[in-house]
Amino acid sequence: MAHTSSTAAEPRRADRFVVTTALTAAAVLAALIALETAPFLVALFFVGGVLGIGLYHGAFGFTGGWRRFVVHGRGSALRAQLALLALATVLIVPVLVFAADAGLSGALAPVGVSLLVGAFLFGFGMQLGGGCGSGTLFTVGAGNIRMMLTLVFFVVGSVLGTLHLPWWLDRPGFDPVNLAGGLGAGGAIALTLALCAGLAWWVTRIERRRHGDVERRLLAGPEGGVFSSLFKGPWPLIWAVVVLAVGNLAVLLLAGHPWGITFAFGLWGAKLLQAVGVDMGQFEFWSWDYPAMALADSVLVNVTSVTNFGLLVGAMLAAGLAGRFNRASQGRIPPRSLLAAAIGGLAMGYGARLAFGCNIGAMFSGIASASLHGWIWFAAAWVGSLIAIRLRPRFSLSND
Amino acid sequence: MGANRTYSRARLAITLLVIGGFILADHFASPTFRRNMGEGGFETTLSQRESQADACAPCGAPCPSDQNNAAD
Repeated sequence: MAHTSSTAAEPRRADRFVVTTALTAAAVLAALIALETAPFLVALFFVGGVLGIGLYHGAFGFTGGWRRFVVHGRGSALRAQLALLALATVLIVPVLVFAADAGLSGALAPVGVSLLVGAFLFGFGMQLGGGCGSGTLFTVGAGNIRMMLTLVFFVVGSVLGTLHLPWWLDRPGFDPVNLAGGLGAGGAIALTLALCAGLAWWVTRIERRRHGDVERRLLAGPEGGVFSSLFKGPWPLIWAVVVLAVGNLAVLLLAGHPWGITFAFGLWGAKLLQAVGVDMGQFEFWSWDYPAMALADSVLVNVTSVTNFGLLVGAMLAAGLAGRFNRASQGRIPPRSLLAAAIGGLAMGYGARLAFGCNIGAMFSGIASASLHGWIWFAAAWVGSLIAIRLRPRFSLSND
Repeated sequence: MGANRTYSRARLAITLLVIGGFILADHFASPTFRRNMGEGGFETTLSQRESQADACAPCGAPCPSDQNNAAD
């Protein structure tokens, strides 16, 4: 991701301006949400903030982790992601099964051509864009200029995806498959844990063959003192794993569904188009109950937007505490790298809508909800990533 | 920190104010704000949420109600 252990060795001095600005923005937004909406949305905003801090301080990037394994054969980040999926499944599936009457719903989505094409495009785009759904958002919060361009095109791609999604949904496919429905909560959890363990074993085997040893970063302790690491980072991977898994559970309990990110990107783009006179209601997607209401109403009552706002502010606060706000934007950005950011953002945005979410909403939350589509998303995005990793050097992007 | 700063404080503050302005403008034009101002007779996100038995995940897939409408 944007910052690595090489920068972690530098002393971390908090940037007071960024920290003050982030705390002020958090206070103003939280007060506005509290005054105008409902208490659960204030809680969601703060959960988003904690998720942003966890993503930044844990340097928890799906994109970089996949690339590091493919290019260098190092699997510690990938094993951390599998641990995250396993822990979240153990936390979320029982809640969905045993509290079904409480109005909670999992991230269940259909399986078909739309999912395959969308996830493939997303995987392709995240390697060129330089970050996935969560990665794009937390690096933007940390002041990364190139990732802001990725986000802009992510929004554009998302809006295009909403216009075409009904057509894609008419292609072959079948209804959502809830593994907990057929196997029960215990069976679905056991199957997911077995798949995660099997993949972790495969990753470890390849790493050992290639290097003769295995990185053991997942369970490593903090580099400095616990208190200093907690506020200034970097976090041990296991801290990030626990915070992200518990954070997803908190989103489920507060919002009624697991963590998602990219619906808000399409919504923000659609709102901008509507503001300049485009009638978005003419498009089928924006006439469906949930999107139509979200488009008509305030972003402050849209759970995905509110969580995203919290995540942005949380990442900004974390970057300020680490004294690394905007650090990733030092030096000239090659034009080809900017082109890759635009292509990657477009592919991710379009792909996320076709695939019913990004690495968070579809893969992380989908798998943690025992939905088959989460695993298929993972496989299709992996294939897209493999192709884009080979293309990165042509866009002046390093694979080191 | 000042010597190592890689960003403009003014630009950062302006960017955040502009984003805040967009959020406020969007909110002031919303049904939720109108309801908070005492108007009624229309649906808001929060009332939609209360009226639906199951929350609809914002993954982009059609909600059950949309699928039912399409089948009608």
